[in-house]
Amino acid sequence: MKNDNINHAEAAAAFLQDREQARWHDSAIWWVRQKRDMQAKQLPEWEQLRSLAQQIKAHTLSKLDEYLEQFQRNAEQNGVTVHWASDADEHNRIVHGILAAGGVKKLVKSKSMLTEECGLNPYLEQRGIAVIDTDLGERIVQLRHEPPSHIVMPAIHLKKEQISELFHKELGTEAGNNDPTYLTHAARANLREHFLTADAGLTGVNFAIAETGGVVVCTNEGNADLGTALPPIHIASMGLEKIIPKQEHLGVFTRLLARSAIGSPITTYTSHFQQARPGGQMHIVIVDNGRSDILGNDDFYQSLRCIRCGACMNTCPVYRRSTGHSYSYIIPGPIGSTLGPSRDIKKHGSMAFACTTCGSCSNVCPVKINLHEQLILQRKRAFDAGTLKPAKKMGLLAMRFLTQHPSLLDAGGKLMRKVVPIVPQALTRHSAWSRPGRELPDMPAQSFKEMWQARKENKS
Amino acid sequence: MSSRETILARLRQNRPQGPALPDIHAVPFITFENKFDAFATLVRNLGGDAVQLQPGETVQDIVAQRWPQHGRVADLTATTPEQVTAPHDWHDVDIAIVPGELAVAESAAVWVSHSGNSQRALYFLTQKLVLVVPKDAIVDTMRDAYTRVSIREHGFGAFISGSSRTADIEQSLVMGAHGAMAALVIFV
Repeated sequence: MKNDNINHAEAAAAFLQDREQARWHDSAIWWVRQKRDMQAKQLPEWEQLRSLAQQIKAHTLSKLDEYLEQFQRNAEQNGVTVHWASDADEHNRIVHGILAAGGVKKLVKSKSMLTEECGLNPYLEQRGIAVIDTDLGERIVQLRHEPPSHIVMPAIHLKKEQISELFHKELGTEAGNNDPTYLTHAARANLREHFLTADAGLTGVNFAIAETGGVVVCTNEGNADLGTALPPIHIASMGLEKIIPKQEHLGVFTRLLARSAIGSPITTYTSHFQQARPGGQMHIVIVDNGRSDILGNDDFYQSLRCIRCGACMNTCPVYRRSTGHSYSYIIPGPIGSTLGPSRDIKKHGSMAFACTTCGSCSNVCPVKINLHEQLILQRKRAFDAGTLKPAKKMGLLAMRFLTQHPSLLDAGGKLMRKVVPIVPQALTRHSAWSRPGRELPDMPAQSFKEMWQARKENKS
Repeated sequence: MSSRETILARLRQNRPQGPALPDIHAVPFITFENKFDAFATLVRNLGGDAVQLQPGETVQDIVAQRWPQHGRVADLTATTPEQVTAPHDWHDVDIAIVPGELAVAESAAVWVSHSGNSQRALYFLTQKLVLVVPKDAIVDTMRDAYTRVSIREHGFGAFISGSSRTADIEQSLVMGAHGAMAALVIFV
């Protein structure tokens, strides 16, 4: 679970203290964005594909209740038990109920941001059930007792030396062996034992198909498959917005998901589950937990189109330079910065300001969510809810006053251009513009407005 | 009211406006002049390989040449394939030879859903996965694939593209995360 009291700007400043690590984080994630671009450019139909995905999701949201009912009917016909959970607590109680009834001692989990959102792991552990996260990145952060810092690459904030040290302590690997292949295969051997001895498996859901009652889970590692093919119980937890109407729509979404997420044409495994493995039982838990409220909000309901690819965070200049751990909500980056504040503006107000309003997130989003526009609207809510630090609030109020009085703004600008260059450095050192890595910009002789007017006069 | 009723009522009440479902077949998608070449080039980047069966050759010949020293083999293409009762019985399989129904050029994915297999765990427990696909069963894109595939195996079907992999440690790509360490697609 995440600490809700994180203030983005403060946490980001702390992360940026280690310049080398921060630079690595930025460039590693930017490379993923570039791989996404290479994939997108290989498809002449890329933009049309995004439009199709947007339309399918927008249509589905307009009839979400009907598609969910159809999904339930078909899933039950397949022999699957369908549960509905209004909130995180009900989800956890349902999952625990299924596990308790099956006498489950050990649960293997594949990646599911929903169970992070619900705080499932601590809930089950307190009730005596061992929970093993099986996605390599998730396993790493689980062993470190910290939340994932990215929704697709959970351990992207760590260096291999840190993982080597962790595995030496937890899995008994050689001290100082930092080779990613060696470390990955050590985790493979360890987790295979868990797969073979688990009593139940839990997966997230990438897509739930109303027409078939089946769910689709995409992984590169194969952990969702091993976790459901071996134990006799499969629980799939899904947010209610994961529905798509027809199986053929996967022909759009499977083309977009991995290309947007990791710059790969598809994940290794795109697995379709309609029934448990022979001799087993399958459960699907449909979770609301605030989603139906977002659906009723004209400003923010489009965020429910999200397919959780993470492209918006990979492109975000703020995310890349602050890590997911600087965001108070469990989902970081642009999409998290609208979902978190939608859920609780008082807790997550600072996330709305983790944004330069550059709009790059909206441009890469495979379902064309208007992310940067939503963040601007969330800022307004953060201000109204009184979540801003006094200095930021005063600054914004002063700016509002100035923009409402243009002659004062002009005069203030003129004064600043004259005064700042003659102020001794000792005085500016502690201003917002003089933090490490930042320089107070040189003051231009003229304002933009003055230059514009001069230009106009020269022309005429 | 049950949670189901409460949730559905709220969704009904909060319905936004939305467009009609688009016709996903109206847009032209990419096509490949040589689908096998596209598939083979891609699968080699994804920890796999693809070959075409030559006259006089068998799938078993190719497998034996590639991995002369091997452990337990489970061959679902055999006339009377081995059956297991528990999925765990597949835990020590070294090479699994399984029928693939359809291959996709744009993603190097193969659809696997085989009515003759009792426990799907085989595909993921095996160290090396050999997929045997009819040579004319190869389409351009995932959209084409979804018009042709169906679930034939006890509530399960999967597209498998190359070998199991991860880049969770410093973005270094490593083959062999949890599933097969090697994948070979043989077009017959």
